[in-house]
Amino acid sequence: MIALLGWIGVAAADELTLWHAWRGEERAALEALCDQYEAAHPGAAVAPLAIPYESLSAKLEAAIPRGNGPDLFIFAHERVADWSARELILPLEPQETGADSGFMPSALAALRWEGRSWGLPLGVKSLALFYNRALLPEGPPQTIEELLADGQADQTAPDGKKIYRLAYEVASAYHAAPWMHATGGGIFDSADPSQPETDGPVRLGRPANVAAFALIRRMALELVPPEPSGALVNQLFNEGRAAMLISGPWFLGEIASGLSFGVAPLPTVAGRPAAPWLTVEAVFLAAPPAGAAADPAAADLARFLAGAAGSQLRQNQGRQIVARTDVPAADPVLAAFREQAAAAIPMPLNPAMAQTWEPLARSLRRLTRGAGTPELAAAEAQTAYEILSRPLPPAADPAPWLIAAGIAGIAGLAWLAREIARAPIRAWAFAYAWVAPAFGAMTLLTLAPFLVGAAVSLFELQGQDWTFVGFSNFLDILLARDFPVTSPLSFWSTLLVTVLWTVCNVVLHVGIGVALALLLREPWVRLRGVFRAALILPWAIPSYITALIWKNLFHAQFGAINALLGALGIAPVSWFASFSTAFAANLCTNTWLGFPFMMVVTLGALQSIPRDLEEAAEVDGADGWQRLRHVTLPMLAPALLPAVILGSVWTFNMFNIIYLVSGGEPDGSTEILISQAYRWAFTRGHRYGYASAYAVIIFGVLLIYGRAANRLAGKKVI
Amino acid sequence: MATLEFLGIEKSYGSVRVLHRVDLSVADGEFIVLVGPSGCGKSTLLRAIAGLEEITSGELRIDGRRVNDLPPKDRDVAMVFQSYALYPHMTVRENMSFALRLQNHPETAARVDQAAEMLGLQKLLDRFPRELSGGQRQRVAMGRAIVRRPKIFLFDEPLSNLDAALRQQLRVEIKRLQAALGTTTVYVTHDQIEAMTLADRIVILQGGVLQQIGTPDQLYFDPQSRFVAGFIGSPSMSFLEKLEPGVTVGVRPNDARIVAPGSPAIQGAPIPGVPLPGVPLLGATVEVTERLGFESMLHLRLDAAHGGEPLMARVEGEPPRGRVSVALDRCYRFDPATGARIRDAGRA
Repeated sequence: MIALLGWIGVAAADELTLWHAWRGEERAALEALCDQYEAAHPGAAVAPLAIPYESLSAKLEAAIPRGNGPDLFIFAHERVADWSARELILPLEPQETGADSGFMPSALAALRWEGRSWGLPLGVKSLALFYNRALLPEGPPQTIEELLADGQADQTAPDGKKIYRLAYEVASAYHAAPWMHATGGGIFDSADPSQPETDGPVRLGRPANVAAFALIRRMALELVPPEPSGALVNQLFNEGRAAMLISGPWFLGEIASGLSFGVAPLPTVAGRPAAPWLTVEAVFLAAPPAGAAADPAAADLARFLAGAAGSQLRQNQGRQIVARTDVPAADPVLAAFREQAAAAIPMPLNPAMAQTWEPLARSLRRLTRGAGTPELAAAEAQTAYEILSRPLPPAADPAPWLIAAGIAGIAGLAWLAREIARAPIRAWAFAYAWVAPAFGAMTLLTLAPFLVGAAVSLFELQGQDWTFVGFSNFLDILLARDFPVTSPLSFWSTLLVTVLWTVCNVVLHVGIGVALALLLREPWVRLRGVFRAALILPWAIPSYITALIWKNLFHAQFGAINALLGALGIAPVSWFASFSTAFAANLCTNTWLGFPFMMVVTLGALQSIPRDLEEAAEVDGADGWQRLRHVTLPMLAPALLPAVILGSVWTFNMFNIIYLVSGGEPDGSTEILISQAYRWAFTRGHRYGYASAYAVIIFGVLLIYGRAANRLAGKKVI
Repeated sequence: MATLEFLGIEKSYGSVRVLHRVDLSVADGEFIVLVGPSGCGKSTLLRAIAGLEEITSGELRIDGRRVNDLPPKDRDVAMVFQSYALYPHMTVRENMSFALRLQNHPETAARVDQAAEMLGLQKLLDRFPRELSGGQRQRVAMGRAIVRRPKIFLFDEPLSNLDAALRQQLRVEIKRLQAALGTTTVYVTHDQIEAMTLADRIVILQGGVLQQIGTPDQLYFDPQSRFVAGFIGSPSMSFLEKLEPGVTVGVRPNDARIVAPGSPAIQGAPIPGVPLPGVPLLGATVEVTERLGFESMLHLRLDAAHGGEPLMARVEGEPPRGRVSVALDRCYRFDPATGARIRDAGRA
C-alpha cells in the first residue's frame, strides 16, 4: 500500500489530484467538471481518483502526513475537527477563494470549527419525508398533530395486510434528532437558543428532550410497526404497506421502480420545524508536505467545483442535492431535500457527540417498546452519557513499568540464551529451518498482535495521544468503579451472563449433538446419509447469515416464530423486550449453529466404541438409558471433552450472534464480554485501552478455564 | 442352570438364510460346543440365544419357556465375548459387579470376591483393563459372567486372541469351572481341539446347516459325513479318491501305519484289521517330515499304482526316509458325490 501511495504521489507531481468516493452519476458529473476545468484553464491537469468510501479516510490519514496525499479531496464534514487538529487540511474560507455567495448557510456553518472555515460545501444530506402518492393523494400532513390524528384510522391493503401510516427507525438516535430539535431540545445545551447545537454541555435529560421522547413514544406505539429496522421500513414502503417513510437521499437508489412517491420536509411540531441532522459533503485542501507551499490552483479548482456552475452540473447530471441556494432545482424531489436541508442543523463536530449515540439509542429502544416513561428515558440517557464520557484514568508514571519490563526482558533473553546453549541446535538446524516459517508466521499473526493488544490495555487514547495509565483500565473493570455491579455495563454482570450463555449453549450443543448422533447410528433409520448431510448444513452456512435469518424469524410482527405461535393460539412474543426471551432467541440461534459440530465429533467417536461393549451391557441387564449412562457416554467422554472445551471457548467469544440477533437488547443485558469489549472500542468513544483490557481479561478467564478443563479431562481420559 | 431347546430355528438377513432349521436340545448342566468353519452360523446361533439377534422363525426355549421375544436382559444368560468386551473406564471390580449393581443386588461385593478368588483375580480388582494381560482380561470376562450366576453361560470364541500355551491353560480352567458350577454352557469355537477337549457334546455346523451332534468320541470315531470326518481330528483325515473306484477313502494319520521294507508283513500275510481287500500294503514316498519330538508327521505320496495321492501318517521314534510301505489299519468310506458315509456290514 505504501508503494501504491508513493506511486500516486509521483504521478500527482505535476497535476492536481482529487480523491473522492463518489460513484455512478455523481462520479460522472465530477469527472465532467474536471474536464471543463481543464478546458477553461489551458495547461491545468486534474486527475480525479475514486477510492472506496470505507478506505478513503484511512488512506487520507496515512498519505497526507507523508507528503503522498492528494491536492484536494471530497469527504463528509464530520472529520473536520479531528483533521484540522492533526493539520491534515488547510483552512478554506469562502471569501478568500473568491467563491461567490449563495451557499446554504447551514452548510457553511457545518464546516466552521474554532472560528475558521475548512472546506467548501458541495452537497448536503439530511432526513426528509418520503410519501406514497397512491396512499396519500392529497400529500403528506404538514404537522405532527395531523399525522397523529390521522394515524388513528388504520388503512388496509387489498390483500388484507395492515398499512402503516408511518415507518422509520424509531429507536435510532439519528432519527430522533428532528423531534428533539422541534421541541427545543437537542444534544448540546447551547447558550444561544437561536444557534442550537453549536456549543454548551451535553444535556440529554432536559425537559425539551422529555417532550420529544414523549412524541417519539407516541409515534412508536400508534403509527410505526414494531421493531422497525432500516431494512424492514424500506421494504414496507416499497411494498406499499407504509404510507410515509423518514429516510435520506440514500434511499432514492433503493426505491421500488414504479412506485409513485414524493418527498416533503418533515412535519412541524407545534409550529416549529423538525430539524434533522445535516451532513455536508465538502471539498477540502490537503495540507502540503512540510516545507512545501500549497498549490494555489487547488483552491481555484475547489471554488470551481463548489461554484454555481459546478453545482448546476452536479445537480442536473449527478442528481446531487447541492449546497447552494442560488441553483434552481427543477426536480421536485431534489428541491424538497434542499428545502429540508436548509432547515437542518449541521452535525456537531464536538467530540462529545460520539458518546451520545449509544445512550440515546438505548433509551429510545426501551422507550419505543413501551417500557418506562419519557422522563425516565431522558434521565437514563443522560446518566449513561455521563458514565461513558467520564474522565479517562490519570496518566501513570511509566518508569517503574519500563524498569520491570526491562528486567523481564533481560531475564527472558538470559533464559532463552541458556536454553539455546543447552539445546543441540546445530544438530537439529535442519529441523529448526523447517519450523522457522511457521514460527515466523505465528509470531507475526498471533503473538505480535496479542502483545500489542495487551500493551494497548495499559494505555488510553486521549484525543490523538496515547497516555500511559498502567493498570487503571483493569482496576476500573474489575472493581466496577464506574457503575454498580448489577448494571449491564459492569464486568461482573456481563461475566455472569457470559458464563450462563456458555453453559446453556454447551449443554444444548452436546445434548442435541449426542442425541442426533446416537439416532443416526440406529440401523432402523433410513436415508442416514441424507440426514447426516442435512444436519451438518447449519454448520456449513456462514454464521452471520444464519444470525440474520434467525433475527428476522424472531421479529415481533413479521417473524415466522410469532406467526407459528399465533397459529397455535399463543400470543405473539416481543422477543427482544425482556432478558429471558432475548437470551432464548440468542440461544436458539447459537444452538442451531453449534450442535452439528458436536454431532460430527460424536459420530466419529461412536465409530471407535466397539458394539461388543454395548451388547455386553445389554446382556448384563442394562436398559437403553443405563447403557447410555454407564457405557456409551463414559466412552464418548475422551473425544467429547476436548470438543466441549473448544465449543465453550467459541461460545464464550461468540460475538456474531449477540451482535446480530439481540444486539445486547434489552438495555445491554444480553451483552457478553466480547461484545462489551467491542462496544467500548467502537461505539463508546474509542476507549481502545479499556476494550483491550477487557480482551486481556477474557483471555485470562479462558486460559484458566482451559487449564482446569484439561486437567479434568486428563483425569477422565481412558 | 437350565435346559435349552432349539425348535426349527431359522435366521435370514434379507434374502440370505444363515441358519437352516436348527433343532437341538441341551440338557441341564451340559457343556455344548458349537464348531464349524468361519461363516457357518455358529456365532449367530449363540447371539440368538443371548437375544442379540432376532430369530426369523422357529422357537427358542430356556427352561421350557419361549424366549424369542424377550430382550437380552430378561433371559438370564451371561456371555463372554471374543474381544472380552470389558468396560475400559471401569476397574476389574466395577466390571465384574456391573450387572449386579444394576440390580442393586445385596450380595454384590461378596459375589465379586468369591469369583475373584475362583479365578485368581484378587490382586487385580482395582486395576483397569488396560493394565491387564490378555489372559487376565479373559479371566475378568469370565468373572463378570460368573458373578451373575446365570442360567446359561455363552462363550463366543473366548480363547482365540490368546497364544497357544495360555489357550491350553485357560481351556482347562474353563472346563474345571463349568464342572464346579454345573451351569449349562454353550461355547462357540472354530478350533476343533477346544471342541474335543471341552465338550460334553459337539454340534458341527456348515453353511448354517447342522451336520452332526455327538460326543467328541462319536464325532471322531463315527463321523457321519466327509465334512465331519475332515473337520474333527488333528491333523485332519486324508482323503483318497483314486484308491478305490467310486468311493472316497478317508484315513486318519494314526491309522496309516508305516511298515519297514522287507518285514514279514510285506510278504502278503494278512494283517488284522486291514479293511480293504486287495490292498494290503501301499507303496509310498516320504515327501516332508514334521518332527514333533516324540512323534513325527509324515507327508507321503502314494505310488502311481495306488493313485499317487498325498497321505499323512504318524510315526513314533526315528521317522523313515525315502520309500516306505504303509498299512491302513482303519479306513472310512464316503460317497464322493454327497460326502455321506458309506457303511458296509463288517467294516468300520
